[in-house]
Amino acid sequence: MKEDIQKLRNIGISAHIDSGKTTLTERILYYTKRIGVIHEVKGKDGVGAKMDSMELEKERGITISSAATHCLWKGYRINIIDTPGHVDFTIEVERALRVLDGAILILCAVGGVQSQSITVDRQMRRYGVPRIAFINKCDRFGANPSKVIHQLREKLGMEPVPLQLPIGIEGEFRGVVDLIKMKAIYFDGDHGEVVREESIPDELLEEALSRREELLDAATMFSDELAEAVLEDRETEQMIYEALRKGTLSRALTPVLLGSAYKNIGVQPVLDAVNKFLPSPTEVKNVALDLDQNELEVPLKADPGLPVVALAFKLEVTPYGQLTYMRIYQGSIGKGDELVITRTRKKIRVGRIVRMHADEMEDISRGYAGDIVALFGVECNSGDTFTDGRLHYTMSSMHVPEPVISLSVKAKDNKSQENLAKALGRFCREDPTFRSHVDPETGETIISGMGELHLDVYVERMKREYKAEVETGIPQVSYREAITQRADFNYTHKKQTGGAGQYGRVAGYMEPSKDGSYEFVDEIKGGVIPSEFISAVDKGFQACLEKGPMLGFPVLGLRVVINDGQHHPVDSSELAFRQAAVGAFKQAYMKAEPVVLEPIMRVSVECPSEFQGNVMSSINQRRGMILSSTEDGMFTTIEAEVPLAEMFGYATVLRSLTQGKAEFTMEFSKYAKAPESVVDELKKTQQQTQGGRR
Amino acid sequence: MQRFIKASPLRLLDMSVEKELGSGNLGVLIARAGVGKTACLVHIALDRIFRGDPLVHVSVEEGPEKVDSYYNVIFHDLVKTLDMKNEQELRLMMERNRMILAYMRRSFDVTRLRASLVNLASNLSYKPRTMILDGLDFENTEREVFEGLKELSREFGLETWLSALSHRHKMGLNERGIPYPCDEIDDLFEVIIHMDPTASGVYLRLLKDHGHPVSPDAKVQLDPNTFLVISA
Repeated sequence: MKEDIQKLRNIGISAHIDSGKTTLTERILYYTKRIGVIHEVKGKDGVGAKMDSMELEKERGITISSAATHCLWKGYRINIIDTPGHVDFTIEVERALRVLDGAILILCAVGGVQSQSITVDRQMRRYGVPRIAFINKCDRFGANPSKVIHQLREKLGMEPVPLQLPIGIEGEFRGVVDLIKMKAIYFDGDHGEVVREESIPDELLEEALSRREELLDAATMFSDELAEAVLEDRETEQMIYEALRKGTLSRALTPVLLGSAYKNIGVQPVLDAVNKFLPSPTEVKNVALDLDQNELEVPLKADPGLPVVALAFKLEVTPYGQLTYMRIYQGSIGKGDELVITRTRKKIRVGRIVRMHADEMEDISRGYAGDIVALFGVECNSGDTFTDGRLHYTMSSMHVPEPVISLSVKAKDNKSQENLAKALGRFCREDPTFRSHVDPETGETIISGMGELHLDVYVERMKREYKAEVETGIPQVSYREAITQRADFNYTHKKQTGGAGQYGRVAGYMEPSKDGSYEFVDEIKGGVIPSEFISAVDKGFQACLEKGPMLGFPVLGLRVVINDGQHHPVDSSELAFRQAAVGAFKQAYMKAEPVVLEPIMRVSVECPSEFQGNVMSSINQRRGMILSSTEDGMFTTIEAEVPLAEMFGYATVLRSLTQGKAEFTMEFSKYAKAPESVVDELKKTQQQTQGGRR
Repeated sequence: MQRFIKASPLRLLDMSVEKELGSGNLGVLIARAGVGKTACLVHIALDRIFRGDPLVHVSVEEGPEKVDSYYNVIFHDLVKTLDMKNEQELRLMMERNRMILAYMRRSFDVTRLRASLVNLASNLSYKPRTMILDGLDFENTEREVFEGLKELSREFGLETWLSALSHRHKMGLNERGIPYPCDEIDDLFEVIIHMDPTASGVYLRLLKDHGHPVSPDAKVQLDPNTFLVISA
């Protein structure tokens, strides 16, 4: 049944690890009567919270993959995506923010603005998501909501507007003062389900009046009507709500609420705030790119009557096939409809459409613009755009952070090898920040991801879900060799012992090439090497590039010039000249003063400015060269060049140096001469390996 | 490299009494938009870098990529014009002796700059002798900021070169012959140079020389393509 789209809310709940997201969601589902019983997160009652449906999540007490559910609150339908807080699962949070219209940012009243709060806030800004903040755990020892509000301003650059005052704090926390209604709110019943309004306690009245003044000051910036009314002392609650809503939608301010989800205090006002301050799908600007007009940006309208445009933002493989979570931006999608995947131009027919409630499905006949649904049995990739064929649109690609850590995996037996391949195929499709490839040089399977926990969880999932037992290691760095001087060669390949012989002489020189690529120059005169054998000489040299004589690494940047030679009318052949070239290479190579090259990465670290010194120091310790430092508000971006060999484990180091508040990206920059200490180590390793083989 | 040093815009200072800006002092290039202040500053920077002096290039409101591209273009032109053979060695020298600090969206202030310099010294043992500060909005910057920069230069033993944007419609000079926007803060600068574009090239004129009298002939002409000195 089509609903009033103005009363639809698509929201995410994002925050730092362990700040109480899943607990809050569990309470929300309970109060909206979506579930009948509250289960705690770490499964004290053996069941686990509704939203933590994956076993590993329940076991570890953390949320790993996002789950979606919906509920009704005072006439509004709210689609909620509960998202993981740990930095390693950034792609899940990124996905959710891409398709949602608003968010609740949860902060811990004790810990305040923590590492992932900063990352999540950055993500919210990137996607222009209006948010409200909920300061949770006000019942805990050390809870200090004022400090957290201050941190929202200082560390996140937000304009927080507290809508409440706590009544009591820490163990005495028992309710909140609503500064708009100017009432004290208490939460009675076994699970706080009965909301009771009373007069504000006398001891809090003065503070409440003062804070209300501040709230009104902030709100009046968005409403002339309210400003006038305040001057004339006739402001109404509705005027204040409307002004705050305008400020929230424009992301100029962030309403802040307080509570303790665990103690069942303050959750219902959060739901009220979602309805009042966060946008409906019609109030959010969504655009697509028109592929028929050179990717011109076109606005989308949350109108079910318009052609369909939808985005697949999450895939999940279930025992019954692939479940595709979709946000419908425009049009409507019903059972039996035909859709087109823009990327592949493939047509699919819609089978089952469901609404998700964590891991349970609810069949529906049609989903409408603004809604989040899931389709069954649709083969596609995460990030695919769907239309009904009338439009050739694509949604802009979701920002996908590059993986920052890699390691090798090796199946322990043949069966595990098969299962490993299946597991990797699935995980890569579901999660674009998880990647795998086979290193062409070492033959190792390398997996890469957002952090050690990210990869750790996938390795666990390989074992549990696919029975693929693997060993993990560290991938090898791809070193290279290069000559640094010119060296001459003059080599004769001769095998004339009776019967068909081989003969060829090649003379010339090798030197470093200017641009780092291989170059072969033919300066032969007088046909001393017949032209039909020249390419064989070239091939002979090229074959030697795969494994340099120094340490067996591929050779870069060789320029070979042949300017003399000799042939035999009978015994010369392509094979003979190819062998002559190989001999010439070996003759000259070590005379050309070869060196070992190591890959140098361009590393970009973004961190709060207070950690700039730590980060610079950590790069310096890794033989890195800092190129620049850019300060932008409270953040600094440091660009550096660092050898790849020094970067393993850096994600973890950076996280601990900066309390998890920094991010870094890394891409290949160039090859540069490796220091003697590194070369000596490589020689030692090679000798040990060769000794082991004997 | 010697050829570059001989042709560098800093040859103007050969006509000064002190022959250099000097540690702890501020120098400024004044010119209208588009004349080449940044290019000239980069030349000054390369002059220091190729002498082996570490340098910090501070850019206000322009990112490091833009600064880097200035250096790359000018370096490339120098190599070609002066037929420098040891290009790789010089490039390495440039990378090792240059640190770019950029401040975006009004993030620049003397306190932050000081913290950055302390970081560089303590964490990287990088102690510049010259600081280039490009892009500071002289019109909207308080005197205290320049006083702070001078203090910083003294504290860190830096020669600091700045660029100042002048305007066609504000051509007046103060009683010491210093034009806007430095007319009210000229006491803070030891060297003031005016960049004057003409049909035949860009002239660098020395307007202030550490309090010594300045000859009206204290000028050099720069090739508008290479910014190297053509004649004095």
